[in-house]
Amino acid sequence: MRISESLRTGTLEIFHHKMRSFLTFFAISIGVISIMYSLTLIYSMNFRTQKALEVVGYGRMQVQTKRSYQETTTMDKKEARDGLTLEDALALHKNFPELPMVSPLMFSGGEFGIGDFRDWNRVAGITTEWKKRGWVYKVRGRFLNQNDIDTYARVCVIIQDGGWFKKPQWMKFYGWKDDFQEYIKHHDVLGRTVSLGDNLYTVVGILEEPPLEKNPKTFLDLEEWEGKILIPITTLQRLMGGSWGWAEAGSIESIQVDTGKAATVPVYRRRIEKVLQARHGGRLRLDVKDFGEIIKTKMADKHRDMYTVLIIGAIAILAGGIGIMNVTLATIYSRIKEIGIRRAIGATRGDIMAQFIIEAMLLGFLGGLAGILISMGGIQYLASNGDTDMMMLQWWMPLVSVVAAVLTGFLAALYPAFQASKLDPVEALRYE
Amino acid sequence: MIKCENLQKTYPLKKLHGFQALKGLELSIEAGEFVAITGPSGCGKSTLLNIIGFLDNPSGGRYLFRGRNVSSFSDSERSGLRLSEVGFIFQSFNLLPRFTALDNVRLPMLYLGENSADTESRANALLERVGLKGKEEHSPLELSGGERQRVGVARALANNPKLLLADEPTGNLDSRTGIEVMQLLTQLNKEGLTVIMVTHDMNLAGKASRIIRMKDGAIEG
Repeated sequence: MRISESLRTGTLEIFHHKMRSFLTFFAISIGVISIMYSLTLIYSMNFRTQKALEVVGYGRMQVQTKRSYQETTTMDKKEARDGLTLEDALALHKNFPELPMVSPLMFSGGEFGIGDFRDWNRVAGITTEWKKRGWVYKVRGRFLNQNDIDTYARVCVIIQDGGWFKKPQWMKFYGWKDDFQEYIKHHDVLGRTVSLGDNLYTVVGILEEPPLEKNPKTFLDLEEWEGKILIPITTLQRLMGGSWGWAEAGSIESIQVDTGKAATVPVYRRRIEKVLQARHGGRLRLDVKDFGEIIKTKMADKHRDMYTVLIIGAIAILAGGIGIMNVTLATIYSRIKEIGIRRAIGATRGDIMAQFIIEAMLLGFLGGLAGILISMGGIQYLASNGDTDMMMLQWWMPLVSVVAAVLTGFLAALYPAFQASKLDPVEALRYE
Repeated sequence: MIKCENLQKTYPLKKLHGFQALKGLELSIEAGEFVAITGPSGCGKSTLLNIIGFLDNPSGGRYLFRGRNVSSFSDSERSGLRLSEVGFIFQSFNLLPRFTALDNVRLPMLYLGENSADTESRANALLERVGLKGKEEHSPLELSGGERQRVGVARALANNPKLLLADEPTGNLDSRTGIEVMQLLTQLNKEGLTVIMVTHDMNLAGKASRIIRMKDGAIEG
């Protein structure tokens, strides 16, 4: 029998047993919906993780010295210890010009003031290198330039929070508001003169963060909290004195280094330590943080989430498959006479098997199509509700889902179809 | 055409030590004959017809069909013979209710792998021949008993068989339509088809060229 004829017969049967078909159809649709959802979720999670990694950089490390509060009591407090300096960063840059980024960082705090508004804020001292890592911003005005650094310019750049497209429920219960962010959100401070500690600065740029849902940094939380006001590191050193108290005088907080590739991190780690210790006569107590390790841990977490989602999807389609198997078995018992008739007029066992398998596959296909339409609608709906980047539908996902549905139909029908083909024609004909 | 030698069929039954439906039956039927098989219920008529029609294998003895020993044919070989060598007509018609008359007739042709357009024209011709022109698209449920049996006859003829097997073909019909169906079978026999018919009705059996009486799994007399 030709496949087209089997398909025609299958369609006839499917339409004749409307309720039975609907139930199978329904089970498969649910399976496909969950598979589509799982695939989209996994893909989106993966995509966002990759994006976050790209932004953070695979070859990142952070060089800093151990703080006195981190030291154990057994350490000799009198031992001379040096802090990292801005010159160390310059030396690294000079020694390893191939490094994509050597970004020294320094922090301080001070009262931010404009008009009547006063708010204490953390201030980060940076160089132009800062721009090379984790750049997700849209700039209004300009970023700090080398001239600002060289001339100890009293300029600052402010990072404006992206906020949420759609505030998560927990945020509504958690009523904390950032006064500083609220202020800059509602007042344009670009070009204005503001006070920061004891000095006046000009706001030369606003860095607008993307909305939190779209911000890769939100997804893979790797950055330390650095504050939202950026000034040239030289200015900070000169005017705000740097230091949180524990750092050595004149020292900076840390040097962020990007080696470009994860593989080169250990090599550069050794080389950098060597250069720095040579500069300080071995008096540095270096603490180098390899982001690769952190990323690995974070990725493992993400992967576990993805597997969970996938397993749920697989269970749903398995349930659909069991539904198909059940329905096909029931179908066979209600069609024993028909099987007998078909066998009597010359159908082989293979013909009978093929017939039931094709019917189940057709049912799987139709259920799959319905599932795809429903889930595409659902995913579009979710996406339109703001979680755009969380829901990325790819062209191959419906394809994979339909194949999964048809395959489920095929596998689920194998056993019942085999049972049907084994029926004795004489017995089957006698069956009423 | 058909030669049965010492044909035996035993059904395994748990309570009895096997039920012997055919006990060393000897039978020979020539091509072109119209044979009626009669006998009381349970005498093995249907069992014999099933074996002759390749629906069942004998438990013992030999069944030669056109000179070939088919008693030990495999399931798929027997399916092939059913498809192309014989046509079955059943007492309860055994049509597929969800198919139209036309589709019921086309079914054996489709199993033979013929293409759709050919089967349609041939099935139409067969339905016309059994007097059902205009009823091609009717479902069996919309047809009278006589009409259903005509569809059954047309289906039996679908693949130009050499042998027509009819199991009580008029058993579910009133006498007038029964006679019509019998006339159809007689006509087909005249055209060269070998017909073997199982019946209780001695009147109908009388229309055949030979009557075989069975009793207790063997041929009487």
